[in-house]
Amino acid sequence: MTVYETEVPGVGKKFELEVGGGERLVVLIHHDGKREVYRRSDPDADSEKLFSVAGKQARQLGSIIEGAFFQPVETDEVQVPLGDAFIEWLDLHADSELAGKTLGETDLRQETGISVLAVQRGDHTHPNPDSAFELAGGDVLVTLGTREEQNSLEAMLGGSDTGDATDSDEGQDE
Amino acid sequence: MAVALYEIGIAITALAVAGSLVHRFGLSVIPAYIVIGVLVGPNYPTTLGDLSPVALGAVGDVSLQLVSNSDLVAGLAELGIVLLLFFLGLEFSVSQLLGDGRRIATIGVIDLALNFGIGLALGLAFGFGPVETLFLAGIVYISSSAVITKSIIDEGWVANPESGPILGTLVFEDIFIAIYLAVLSAVALGGGSLADAAVSVGTAFAFLGVLLAAAWYGTGVVERLFSTGSDELFLLRVLGVTTLVAGVALVMGVSEAVAAFFVGTAFSGTDHTERIEHVIAPSRDFFAAVFFFAIGLTTDVTLLADVALLLVVAVVVTTASKLLSGTASGRVYDLDPRRSLRVGLGMVPRGEFSLILATLAATAGGNAGTLGEVVPAFAVGYVLVMSIVGTLLIQNASAIERVRKLAVSPEAGS
Repeated sequence: MTVYETEVPGVGKKFELEVGGGERLVVLIHHDGKREVYRRSDPDADSEKLFSVAGKQARQLGSIIEGAFFQPVETDEVQVPLGDAFIEWLDLHADSELAGKTLGETDLRQETGISVLAVQRGDHTHPNPDSAFELAGGDVLVTLGTREEQNSLEAMLGGSDTGDATDSDEGQDE
Repeated sequence: MAVALYEIGIAITALAVAGSLVHRFGLSVIPAYIVIGVLVGPNYPTTLGDLSPVALGAVGDVSLQLVSNSDLVAGLAELGIVLLLFFLGLEFSVSQLLGDGRRIATIGVIDLALNFGIGLALGLAFGFGPVETLFLAGIVYISSSAVITKSIIDEGWVANPESGPILGTLVFEDIFIAIYLAVLSAVALGGGSLADAAVSVGTAFAFLGVLLAAAWYGTGVVERLFSTGSDELFLLRVLGVTTLVAGVALVMGVSEAVAAFFVGTAFSGTDHTERIEHVIAPSRDFFAAVFFFAIGLTTDVTLLADVALLLVVAVVVTTASKLLSGTASGRVYDLDPRRSLRVGLGMVPRGEFSLILATLAATAGGNAGTLGEVVPAFAVGYVLVMSIVGTLLIQNASAIERVRKLAVSPEAGS
């Protein structure tokens, strides 16, 4: 990857990164520490400003992008191999059809083939919940099943983007 | 002293109000600072009634002569010039010049030949003397780094290829203005005869040569001398040395602005650059604002009537010439016609440097005659128009691009 560096007198420095297909990211670092990031989709296009951040935030953003705080792991790889089956942590959203029902009523084992190993509610973990255990929105289900079974359960859990492994990182502060 | 403080208070408040007003419209603050200086200054308009087409009765007699053109304001304004040029030297990009020298030289010469040439032609056509003509040519030639840099950031052009030739041309203009100011001030301040002029040009270059050598070889010393943990002491040291060198230069009959430029370049090779941008830039902004304000104070707008024709012709012709030289520069950088046109539009604004020349002309001409009065009045009127026209051209570039497309291929637009 080629990086072009230019001085912008009175402003600071400009870096252009080729990101493939003629597209370039342009980072303008002001003397006062402000960073502006532009994207130019092809050589003929105009650069559009994506965002601008102050010095301190920029450095934090930089380390996040670099991976210093958190290395993303693909959802498909968060699994403990048990034959075809694996263990998954799944959020139960309030709008799910399962919220408010007991495990017995949901009949998850018959419907999806999934075994619920434990339910995390707040700080508390309920291991091996019985059929009378009532599910509620906000619960995290620890489940055992194949990819297919996990997917069919996810479809019943509500929420817009169910089972996104990075959900829990949202809103994480410094 | 009470009056002085009161007047400075009015001046700064007026600057703050005027600046905030134009900031809302995304326009350059420079014309606003000048206009507010004219309004509250000792020259016309002197009362509120002067501003209104209808009679205002008793309210019309309210005086607008709020700030006199005192030595204090003049001194602060002088610091504005020194700091503007100091930063020009500080930000002068030698690496850019060395890395892209051939192309920068090419577009610089195109820009110089066309625009300086037009300026000389204008001076001769309007019957100016040789010195006045030289001033006029400089005033219409030099683009405004301040206005242009701000505008191309606001429009996002800074991230586009057209910023290359725009900034490259500015670098060339910077070098030229340093040499030109040195020669011109030596000639203009040096007195009448050719021998006198030669002596003062010689003095100027000897002084600047010493300064340049100090800037070149003294990087290590500068680095050490200005290493201090305290921002306050750092500020005082930098302002102290810059102002002192500029002052000594002026006493010796050398342009204080050029001296400040070289002090700036002495700092540009050190690690202090970033810190100066942090610590000194606010001082520059303040003193530069006072400088523009002081320009307004000293301007007699009634003189503009005498140069109205020259002003109109100059505005039209030099807008066209910058468009032409800029577009040609874009072609040198292999830009497509659309981006090349933008380079032309981007170079149109004139500003602080034309006004520095106007101040020099006023001083050299003793505030009277063609050099001392007419040239400065022209420069102020010219900068007022060009800084606004230039900003508007950059802001409305996409509309202008469509017009250009229609002109090039009429059937494509229908």
